[in-house]
Amino acid sequence: MTSAFIEIRDIKKHYGPITAVKDVTLDIRKGEFMTFLGPSGSGKSTTLYMLAGFEYPTAGDIKLNGRTLLDTPSHKRNIGMVFQRYTLFPHLTVGENVAFPLRIRRMPKADVERKVKEALRLVRLEGFEDRKPALMSGGQQQRVALARALVYDPPVLLMDEPLSALDKKLREEIQFEIRRIHQETGVTILYVTHDQEEALRLSDRIAVFSQGKIDQIGSGQTLYAEPATRFVAGFIGDSNFIDTDVVSVEGSHATLALPGGKLVSGVPLHSAGPGKTAALLLRPERIDIRAADGGPDGALKGTIRDITFLGNNTDVLVEIPAGKQLSVRIPFGHPMLGGLKPALPVALSFNPETVHAFQG
Amino acid sequence: MLLDFDRLGPWKWVLITITTLVCLFLMLPIVFIAALSFGSSQWLIFPPPAWTTRWYGELFADPRWLQSAFTSLKIAAIVTVLSVGIGFLAALALNRGTFAGREVLRALFLTPMILPVVVLAVALYAFFLKIGLNGTMLGFIIAHLLIALPFSIISIGSALDGFDKSIEDAAILCGASPWEARMRVTVPAISHGLFGAAVFSFLASWDEVVLAIFMASPTLQTLPVKIWATLRQDLTPVIAAASTLLILFTMLLMIIAALVRRGSKQGTKP
Amino acid sequence: MAMTATAAPGERVARRRNAAFAWTLPALVLILLFFVTPVLGLMLRSVTEPTLGLQNYAELIGTGTYARIFANTFLVAGVVTALSVVIGYPVAWALAVLPRPWGQLVFAIIILSMWTNLLARTYAWMVLLQRTGVINKTLIGLGVIDKPLALVNNLVGVTIGMTYIMLPFVILPLVGVIRAIDPAILRAGALCGANSWQCFTRILLPLSLPGVAAGALMVFVMALGYYVTPALLGGTANMMLAEMVAQFVQSLVNWGMGGAAAFVLLVVTLALYAAQLRFFGTRRIG
Repeated sequence: MTSAFIEIRDIKKHYGPITAVKDVTLDIRKGEFMTFLGPSGSGKSTTLYMLAGFEYPTAGDIKLNGRTLLDTPSHKRNIGMVFQRYTLFPHLTVGENVAFPLRIRRMPKADVERKVKEALRLVRLEGFEDRKPALMSGGQQQRVALARALVYDPPVLLMDEPLSALDKKLREEIQFEIRRIHQETGVTILYVTHDQEEALRLSDRIAVFSQGKIDQIGSGQTLYAEPATRFVAGFIGDSNFIDTDVVSVEGSHATLALPGGKLVSGVPLHSAGPGKTAALLLRPERIDIRAADGGPDGALKGTIRDITFLGNNTDVLVEIPAGKQLSVRIPFGHPMLGGLKPALPVALSFNPETVHAFQG
Repeated sequence: MLLDFDRLGPWKWVLITITTLVCLFLMLPIVFIAALSFGSSQWLIFPPPAWTTRWYGELFADPRWLQSAFTSLKIAAIVTVLSVGIGFLAALALNRGTFAGREVLRALFLTPMILPVVVLAVALYAFFLKIGLNGTMLGFIIAHLLIALPFSIISIGSALDGFDKSIEDAAILCGASPWEARMRVTVPAISHGLFGAAVFSFLASWDEVVLAIFMASPTLQTLPVKIWATLRQDLTPVIAAASTLLILFTMLLMIIAALVRRGSKQGTKP
Repeated sequence: MAMTATAAPGERVARRRNAAFAWTLPALVLILLFFVTPVLGLMLRSVTEPTLGLQNYAELIGTGTYARIFANTFLVAGVVTALSVVIGYPVAWALAVLPRPWGQLVFAIIILSMWTNLLARTYAWMVLLQRTGVINKTLIGLGVIDKPLALVNNLVGVTIGMTYIMLPFVILPLVGVIRAIDPAILRAGALCGANSWQCFTRILLPLSLPGVAAGALMVFVMALGYYVTPALLGGTANMMLAEMVAQFVQSLVNWGMGGAAAFVLLVVTLALYAAQLRFFGTRRIG
């Protein structure tokens, strides 16, 4: 890929016997919003810190614009970063905080003033120049931190779970701000989060991290519709997994035996292996639920165990053979909704082409 | 209940009585000495038959008192600067470093504080006899630096513990070199710790008696040595006058410390 | 190419670690040269002067006079510790709950007494406690006694003077320990039916006991090695360990015995602190 702006090549990071990152390779295009999504300890933050220069890879290389970054110390990388915790300099005002990178770069005073104003306008905090950080809310502080990270026009902006300390409503508000700022400035953003909703809302592409490596890279839609691994399937969106037996494999598709013996054929099979079992992914919102005698042939028979009304949706917990329970989501206004009650026998069905099986 | 003042029940009066008595006990020598320093009795009769400033006059008439006070001040000032500087570096290393033996080093640095001073005094006295540092300014500075440094390391260390290193990292990504970031961001942010280190280091040296007794020569002695030597001869009220001035000096330091603390609080939350 | 790419970062990490270590060098050189070396030198002299061997330690243990000094030292340190804890605990408790202005006043008094020059305080006690001093006069005036008590130049004077000095060292850390106890625990105790006394003995006291033990140990160790107050308030007949060390060196110029006594003091001190670390974790002192 010649168009790659940032190239991460075979990065490894060991701490003694512990491997934090193993073999991460990734290309990021200029102006892209790339999110590293994964649970804590999956290596996403370590990878980000290697880009910032606070951690050094045990092996591998990171290139920006075709030149390695590893020989450059952090303070000369000219990268912007917003941290998880509030990192405003407590003894300086908001204006002085934002001016700090410019003063370090010995920019003329008039330019500093102009750039600070511009940056504060970008994050919608005009007029806050003389405030002390301790007097501001968490959301305001992170916006100042954003202004400080962008004021020197870095080609890359790193964000390490910048919103994790904020409450949900504020988080969503600032997500929109970040989105807008990305569009206005065109800066390349690398964003770390463990919140799938945040990742889906913000990113052009998402790299899903698991146990020190990337499981899949793709747009939110791709990750949801075509998960490459069971981990990705479980991490993005809600999911049910059913243990099935692999009866036969035809190319990239398989015929599976569901609990209770029913066969499903034409299911896309991922990470095929020699194993005899596979986990079948069923999205709760893609399962069709009907009265027990109204289902098509091959429908799973089950019994309703619990019903939870959630406003837009209603979650129905259905017990199928072998004691397994499936969560089924039906939208408000579904014709079945009125007749649902616990202990009611139902039939569940799904389109084999839209589900996925993960072997091994 | 027992931790709510208004609902202590019978405990309330027990606690108030004991606390009042202890406060009186703690204040007794201080008030007493201040009163005596203005009493006219050579034999320290209390209450004094008359009031006088004679002992202060005698104190200031004797150049050796002023000289020793000046010596003390000079030593304490130099010790304070060195202690804060060396202590900052050491605390930073212990806080940030990942090198092996960090805990051993921390324990070693703090040992001079927990060891009986007399052991250090005797050992240092013997060592200084060999290398000719007894009775010298340098000898005093080294000896006092040894006992001031642990206070400095503890004070600065706890300030660094309370400082989020991400803030320094942010400064580095803003383009500041690591030392630039430390001096422009970390040092101002932990200034209360540095100030505490300075106050404790100064007091550790200024009030130090035991090491000074061993180190002192007839021509070079600190104020505590002068008081000690005078005390051993007789209980003259001149000492009361000197002590009263020392107490005033201490109160002044306390007030400054309180003001600085309030000032630094105001910096963040007016 | 691959070689350099993998070697460079590793080297840089190593250099970084060394850099942090280098910052300790000024302190380390100071401590090694002027603390470790002199102390080791003194220890060495205790087994080499006048001749090689442990005869100094044998004499220290075998001589009655010295044994009495050891006994005095431990006795005084023990009594001072007990008094400081018994008097200091209620004050710390009060400080933890007192409304703000009063709490601050008590705090200021404690800090002022602690920061006041040690010699000034000791001088005051020398004057206060002497035969014709205020304390004796007051007691006679009140009719409690008919002739003056000997309060100075003996271990009573030392105990009073040292308790005065040590009290803040028990009170201040204890305030923090008691404040850290959640009042809700005591409310729960009361709801469980414990009366006020049971709440104290079964809940508050046990919860603050680690703080008490730590403070007591610190005071005990400090008292063992204290020099100034015993020397001024104790008089020559009632020497304590630290004075003995000084005497050997200053008056008798007996480096062997001085070193041996210093070494005993050092070992006891370090052993007690090691015990504290073992039983109360790695909480830092001070």
